[in-house]
Amino acid sequence: MTTTEGFKRHGDHSYVAQFADSEKEVLLNLCEQIIELLAERTDHGHEDPLAAMVGITSHDSPPEDDVLHRLLPNAYADSVDASEFRRYTESTLRTKKQAHAISMRIHLKTADDGIVDLDHANANAWLGAINDIRLALGVRLKVGENSNEHLELLAPEDPLRGVYAVYTWLGWLQETLLSALIDDADEDEESQLGNS
Amino acid sequence: MVKTADKLEEEIRAIFSGDTPWVTIVWDDPVNLQTYVVYVFMELFGYSKARATELMLQVHNDGKAIVSTGSREEMEHDVARLHEYGLWATLQRGDQL
Repeated sequence: MTTTEGFKRHGDHSYVAQFADSEKEVLLNLCEQIIELLAERTDHGHEDPLAAMVGITSHDSPPEDDVLHRLLPNAYADSVDASEFRRYTESTLRTKKQAHAISMRIHLKTADDGIVDLDHANANAWLGAINDIRLALGVRLKVGENSNEHLELLAPEDPLRGVYAVYTWLGWLQETLLSALIDDADEDEESQLGNS
Repeated sequence: MVKTADKLEEEIRAIFSGDTPWVTIVWDDPVNLQTYVVYVFMELFGYSKARATELMLQVHNDGKAIVSTGSREEMEHDVARLHEYGLWATLQRGDQL
């Protein structure tokens, strides 16, 4: 089986890609790591089950881990406001991010012949999940704004070289899904203009 | 004179009703793809591709851009949705920029 050509649009609001087994394994593995990482942050020893039920968490300070901090950032520059907001919203944010990764995992697990067929909502979940994986890898790789020379010049035996290759490949995969989606959005906009 | 009084009254009303506008700011990030940022703006805010691209370029070139304005509650909602999709966003009072 050849390597994937990325996502293509099939008919109305359907986005299809075919993955080789090895590619599927890499993606599944990354999904699972994100799901686990977010689960590590889940609250331990909640004293108030009612608070947990409505999504109030014991976390009011940002995660110490750099990756988790990037995935669950502060909403305010002011630390008091940021803590308050985090207490009421972080668990919902974690659940939504996990749901994106779980949706991606389900599609991969049930892919016949490696074929994944997404509707608009599922495509958004995939975009979010791929992006979270890229953010996580990007923090670990110390991806910078301008120069990524330290990554381009990695020695062949350096394990980070493989990670960087996956990071770059995910960017390309995300881009193929985006261009399929944006083509659709453009057409919708044009047909709306035509109707008015 | 009338104008000044009106303006003063308007300001007082704004202070007591908590109507001071808040803003959502998106900050530049080395990982998020430009196309992705454009798509998220289109999807979450219903912006046209042209408007979304303009905002993305502002984030990229100036390091940040105001992407929405409204009440504090509305901006908290916008920031939460942007965080869900991995954009680096914060909110603050519009008069404290």
